[in-house]
Formats: sequence, structure tokens, C-alpha cells
Amino acid sequence: MANYFNTLPLREQLAQLGKCEFMDPAEFTDGATYLAGKKLVIIGCGSQGLNQGLNLRDSGLDVSYALREAAIRDQRQSWKNATENGFTVGTPEELIPQADLVLNLTPDKQHSAVVTETVPLMKKNSCLAYSHGFNIVEEGMQVRDDITVIMVAPKCPGTEVREEYKRGFGVPTLIAVHEDNDPRGEGLAIAKAYAAGTGGHKAGVLMSSFIAEVKSDLMGEQTILCGMLQTGSLLCFDKMIEMNVEPGYAAKLVQIGWETITEALKHGGITNMMDRLSNPAKLKAFDLAEELKTIMRPLYNKHMDDIMAGDFSEGMMEDWANDDAKLLAWRKETGETAFETTPASDQEIPEQEYFDHGILMVAMVKAGVELAFETMTAAGIKEESAYYESLHETPLIANTIARKKLFEMNSTISDTAEYGCYLYNHACLPLLSDFMSRINTDVIGRGLDLDDDGVDNQLLIEANRAIRSHPVEAIGQTLRGYMSAMKKIT
Amino acid sequence: MLNNIIFDRACIQFNESFSLREIDWVIEPGQVWAIMGASGSGKSALAAALAGAGRVTAGTLRGLVADTGVVSLESQAALIERERLRDDSDITDRINEGTPAREILDEVCANAKLQSRLTRLFGIDSLLDRGFGKLSTGETRKLLFIRALASKPDMLVIDGPFEGLDARTVPVISELLRNLANDLPMVLVINRLDELPEFVSHIALLEKGRIKTTVNSSDTTAMAALSQLFHLQTADIQIPAAIPGESAPPLDCNKPLVNIRNASVRYTDNLVFENLNWRIEPGQHWQLTGPNGSGKTSLLNLVTGDHPQCYVNDIFVCGHQRGSGESIWDIKQHIGYVSSALHWDYRVSISCKNVIISGFYDSIGLYAKATDLQQEIAVQWLEILGLQARAGQPFNQLSHGDQHLLLIARAMVKHPHLLILDEPCFGLDDLSRQLVLALIEKICGGSETTVIYVNHHAQDQINGINNYLTLDGAT
Repeated sequence: MANYFNTLPLREQLAQLGKCEFMDPAEFTDGATYLAGKKLVIIGCGSQGLNQGLNLRDSGLDVSYALREAAIRDQRQSWKNATENGFTVGTPEELIPQADLVLNLTPDKQHSAVVTETVPLMKKNSCLAYSHGFNIVEEGMQVRDDITVIMVAPKCPGTEVREEYKRGFGVPTLIAVHEDNDPRGEGLAIAKAYAAGTGGHKAGVLMSSFIAEVKSDLMGEQTILCGMLQTGSLLCFDKMIEMNVEPGYAAKLVQIGWETITEALKHGGITNMMDRLSNPAKLKAFDLAEELKTIMRPLYNKHMDDIMAGDFSEGMMEDWANDDAKLLAWRKETGETAFETTPASDQEIPEQEYFDHGILMVAMVKAGVELAFETMTAAGIKEESAYYESLHETPLIANTIARKKLFEMNSTISDTAEYGCYLYNHACLPLLSDFMSRINTDVIGRGLDLDDDGVDNQLLIEANRAIRSHPVEAIGQTLRGYMSAMKKIT
Repeated sequence: MLNNIIFDRACIQFNESFSLREIDWVIEPGQVWAIMGASGSGKSALAAALAGAGRVTAGTLRGLVADTGVVSLESQAALIERERLRDDSDITDRINEGTPAREILDEVCANAKLQSRLTRLFGIDSLLDRGFGKLSTGETRKLLFIRALASKPDMLVIDGPFEGLDARTVPVISELLRNLANDLPMVLVINRLDELPEFVSHIALLEKGRIKTTVNSSDTTAMAALSQLFHLQTADIQIPAAIPGESAPPLDCNKPLVNIRNASVRYTDNLVFENLNWRIEPGQHWQLTGPNGSGKTSLLNLVTGDHPQCYVNDIFVCGHQRGSGESIWDIKQHIGYVSSALHWDYRVSISCKNVIISGFYDSIGLYAKATDLQQEIAVQWLEILGLQARAGQPFNQLSHGDQHLLLIARAMVKHPHLLILDEPCFGLDDLSRQLVLALIEKICGGSETTVIYVNHHAQDQINGINNYLTLDGAT
């Protein structure tokens, strides 16, 4: 199988990358009716698989789960999840041949095997849905001509997909149709009905392409989302230890800090995150971020270039073929870092203190989000995609660190994200060593110690203008507006 | 407890909108206190202050006991919230059923013998290996009781000792507390005068964040006055009208409203009930009873569609055979629903008025623009509840009792074909309870709404409810 993106002419590559638009809610007035009476079979009964299935069924659709014979025989957790929730469960051989729509909700790495096994069982003129396009775009999976191939990707974890649905709302969702596999021109209608069945249409649906989704998703996860947070965690923690900050406090400041800081990001973008700082701290964070952006820009460019050229996936698939040798070694290495092995203290840290004592962390988030966004849009990816794959998802990853630190974050995010994260981390640590040697505890660990909070008016005006006028802020405001227009009636 | 606990003109701040003011109160060793008052008067806050909650902004508070065992809605909510945060399904991609009950008990246990005696006494010894997420509301309440008692506290604070417990358990707890009261200082929050245990020695009556009066329970004159205060006449209330043309489509009145045939709810390791039949005709009001864990909530969730096994049972509800292609919203448009589970789930940032309006949309939170008429009706409801001044306030800043009143209004606001009230008086004081019962009675008297009512209190009878279903607890 060859990298699909690389087989396309430049014109087509650019057209596909530039696809991403917010759909008008009026396009969803028919809800899920296009799929009414059709048979939906889900492969994979983990968090996304189960929760999407519950929503689709509550929207009136016929949903069942195809599990491996061994999982059914041994009554494994996936079997328990599906049967206790009252779903029909069967083997792929039993269920797939009747399916009008097969939803592949297994992890990326299994896609090749799952799809290769599933497609021959699928009936003529049926539809295969993905929630991530890696298998099609990077691995070049070719699906039988008569089968429609679509993607529906809710941009939130599975439990949230369910919770929001039960409230009568939904989560933002990205949909796409694989144009090479749309023989009857019904791909969009199916994708829209599927998105509506999960409740996504209430929170906003983005129409994108397989290519735009994959290239932006890979870029986001390996740079700002996982890479920057991992590198930042290690650097900030080690610096505090070097400066004799109490280790338990340092571990907690970093572990919970990302989540607390990016919660402000989630609600009001970089502007709001920066506004949580005092004026002198804000100027400090602004300067640090500018410096970080200058140092790290070549690294972000390299990641984007490798993703576009297909070099990244090629390297990673070599490691897959080599029993994940590099990945497992790196995972082990992360597990042994000082940050990872130092337990966070039980001491309460007030919410504001995470900002006041974590100025450098705020600067890292700002620099990482802006750089990832700038690099993606410069490569032809639309601002909407770039926003979702950078700023929007940062709080979600920060949340996994808050719960289980880096080792766990890495073993539980997708293997693609993890592999990319290590590449980034290994390049970024040495890149920032000189910068870090000039850092002191005023920006990480203890906070500014000023007698006077005064700042120069002109400097503050300029910094605020620069923060507010960054393109990620403009698109962010629009998209957050769509998502929460109704939610904000409080 | 060897010393007195002394509140000396203490002002205690809890959140932006609530503080206790100028509390003068002395608790002496050997006394058993009950805190009483209307909902929103600060009962729970005062109890929480004994466990160190809130910030003293003026006056002093001395002599608090370090090891205070607490049972309250807040501690129950905190445990539920902790479990929600611990749920790592999205990280591990494995569905998490929650911490086993045994582990939750063992976390703070200081007396294993007492713990195992209590689990037997409360009849939950067979549930110890079950995940927290699989326990009923009443069962988690029992768990909290055991946790608090077995941690060997030096003082016990219980906010609503009998709330959410079945008739079988109430006397058990009552007896247990009576025995403990001999040598363990105890403060109880009591919502209803008829639930005041006779071993209570003193009563503190709260009003708007202040202690209005304290009464020695041996003073019969003072007790009579107190009783009168708790039995004010419920004003002649008018239920705000439905909005014409906006209610759910009419149902065929020749068909049953609900018809459940041979239903069962089971998990791999547990059968909740089986062979259950229940047919509800339009206008036929029902009362549902049964001990904690007998499956009342599961049964009601089969009706509302909130239980996933509604799709594997033979269920006809509000014009739809379940699993025939209808959506959950097709069902919910006919149903008004209130339960403690709904209350726990109602965790969104929203104003009080919009909580009521969300009943028109069957949503948790409000995601549509309300019409003028809907706003008007919501205001009328707020007036009935006496909460008009709080219309714009965030829902989560209200007391638990007031929040519950709002959710009851939310359930009634659209005049649904089927109104399901799962322990609607849970945590309400006498006045609010009388108000709610009067509202239900009014609705039962009308012709458009059929009521299913669940409660544990034999006293809370409602005129017009003549059909009874009792679950005996197959487990």
C-alpha cells in the first residue's frame, strides 16, 4: 500500500488540505432519518464505540456490535459492555454481511488488519465509516469500489459524547467523505445522519476531508498537544528541583497546572489565559513566548514537512513492523524521569497560584498553540482545522496528565500521537537547554516577587494587541461562539 | 468531645450568595442537637460548619472536633463527583464501573468489626464487591453511613438521617443512633417534625442564615409552638397553564400509556428483577414502593428510556413500542421526570429561571432561545416556589432543597402526559413538602397528566393515587 496523499497531484493535495467549513445547522433538519431502518454494525466496544452506539440507538437507529469470537466466548469486557447495555452482539461473520453501515471504532493501529478482514464480508453497496483517516491517507488502504467510505469524528472523549447527548446537546464533530469511494454520491448524506445520530449537529459540524483531518491531527498531537506538554513538564519540573523548590509541590504544580491553565484557554482562548496573569506576569509570559517561538519554529516546520511528505508515517510504520522497539524504549524512558517518579503532594494549591507560579507554563502553551496553528495554516490547512487540532484539544490532553501524568498519557493516547510526541520531545529538549539555563523560579515555582505591580502602558497595550489579534483568536472566537451560542443562555 | 463547641457571633461565608450570620450557639457534651428550618435557611451550612466548612469572617468559632463523621447530601455528592473524576474510561478505553463498595469503606475504616456488623445490619453485605456506579441512591447513602460510623469519629454530623432510606432501614438507623447518642456527640439536620427522634435534647431553628431560636425538647410549650410553625396552611395554589400548541402530540387514549410485559433487568453478576408486568392506563395514577436496591429507579428508567436495557424488553410507552425506530426525544416529550439521579446529573452552569424553562425542551441546560410565553410561565412557577428573587441566580448556588423544588417545577412545566416523581420530597422541609404534595394532588385531580409517584414515607399519601406497585427486591 502506498501513501495516498503522495499519489495525488499538487492541485488536488492543496484542494483537499484546504477543506474545512462550518456547516449551517439548517443542513441537519432531517436529523438521522437517512439511516432510519438501516443496519449499523460497530466494530470496537471501548469508550468511543460504546458511547457512540448508545447515542445512535437513542436516536432511533438499529445498532449492533461485531466482536471477535474469543471476546464473546470468554465474555470479555467488550462483550459485557455491549450486552449489559442491551445490544445485539455477534461475530463479524454473523453481523457484517447484513450491515448497511459498518463503523470502525478500533484504535488506529488495528485499522489495517480490521479493515482487511471486514471489507470482504461487507455486502455490496454498503458504507464503511472511520473516525480517523490515517489508514486511508497514510497507509493507503484501498477499499472495494462499491463501498462508500466516510469519516465522522466527534472532537471529544467518548464519555463526553454521551453526557452531552443525554443533556440534549452534543459535541463538535468533524465529517468527511473519501471522494475515491463515493460511488453513489450518498457519502455526505450518510455522514450527516451519523453525526446527527450522535448529537453532534447541535454543537456544530465541520465538513472536512480525510487528508485535512489526518495531516492536521498528526501535526497537532505531536507538537503542541502531547509533545509540548511532555517537554514542558520535564523541563519545568527539573528546573524547580534544581532551584530547591519542594519536589512534591513542583510535581503538583506541573501535573495539575496544565489542566488549570488550559481550562482558561478552553473558555476564552489565549487572550483569557493570558488575562489570568497580573500585568507584569503577562508581559513576562509574552516575552518568554516570543523567545520560545523563535527557537522552536524550525522544529515545528520540520514536523509539518515530515508529515506532509509522509516521512513521519513511514518511520513510524517501520517501528510498528519492528515490534514497536523505539516506541517501547521511549515509553520506558519517560516512565523513569524524575517528574514521573515524584509523587505530587497533597497540599492544596489555589487555582490562581497555578497561573502566578507557572508563568513559564503559560508561555509554553501560548507559544506551542500559536506555532502549531501558524505552521498548519502556512501548509495549506484551513484555520478551522488548525484551531481544533491545536487550541481546542490542548485541554483534553492536559486533563490526561492531571489524572495520570506522562507515562499514562503516552500509553493511552493513540500510538501515532505517542510516537510523534517522543520525536518532538527528543528534538525539543536540547533545543531549549540554553533557554532554560537562563530561567529562574520567578517564572516557574515561586512567582514574581515585586513590590510594585506597575507596568508601562505602551508595552501593555502592544502586548494585548498582539495577543488579541493573533489569527487563532479570531477563528477561536467564531468557533467557540457557534459551539456555545445556545449553551450560554444562562 | 470533652469541651463545648462555641459559636460566638460567628459569621460564616460559604459562597458568594450565602453566609450564616451572627450565630450564637453552644453545644455541650452530652447534648444531641437537631437543626431545623425552611429550605434555604442554612441548615446544611450550619451542619457543614461543624465539620470545618466555610470561612469565618467575623466573630469566633471554637472547639470544633477534629474527627467529625459526616453524612450529608454534600458528602454523597462529593463521592459521586470523585467517582466521576476517577472514571478513566476515556483514557484506558475500558468502561469503568466505579470503585468497589468495599474499597470505599476501607479507605477510612478504623474499626473493621463494627464495619462488617453495620454492613450486615444495613443489608448491604452482599453488595460489597459491586462497583459504586452500580449502587442505587439509597445504597450509596447507607455506604456513607457505615463509612462515617466505622471511622470512629469523635462527633457525628448527619444531614437528613432518614433521607432516601427505605421503611425497613429507617428503624434500624433510628435505633442505632439512639444507642450511639449516649456517648457520641451528635448533631442532626431534620427536615420534618415527624422525623424528629425522641432522643434529641435540643433544637436549633434557623431562618435566613440566622438561628431564630433554640428549644429544649423537654419544654412542651416551646415544642407545641414549633409544631405549629411547621404546619402552616399551604396557600391555595394555581398551577401555571400549559402553552397551547406547544405540548407533545396527543396520544391515543384507548391505548395504555405504559405497558411493560415480562420485563427483566440484569447484569452479568446481578439480577435486579424479572417477569415484571406493569400496565398504566391514561389517568390511572400509581404509587411505586420497595426497599433500596429493589430496582425502582431501574424500572422507571425503563419507562423514560434512560435505562439501556429498555431496548431488550417488551415496552410500550407513550405511543411507541420501544426499539421500533423512535428516538429518545420522541418519548421524553411526553414525560416530566424528577429524581435524585437527575439532580446529580444537573451539573451545568444555568440560572434558576432557565432550569424551569429547560423542562419545555427535556434538556439538562438550555440550548434554545426561550419564547416570551415560556419565560412568563417560568416566572409564575418561581412565584409559587417563593423563589422569584432568585430567578437570575446560578442554580448551583441554591440550597439542595431549593434546587429540588426547581427541578419539580421543571418536570411539571409542560403539563406532560406522564409525570414521574421519584422521591420528590427527598431533602425537603415540611413547608416545601406540603407545597409539593399539594401540587401533585392538583395535578392528579386534573385530566391531562398521569402520575407515577415513588416514596418511602407512608405519611406522604396523595389523594387520587389508588394503584400501588411494590417491588420486593429480588436480590
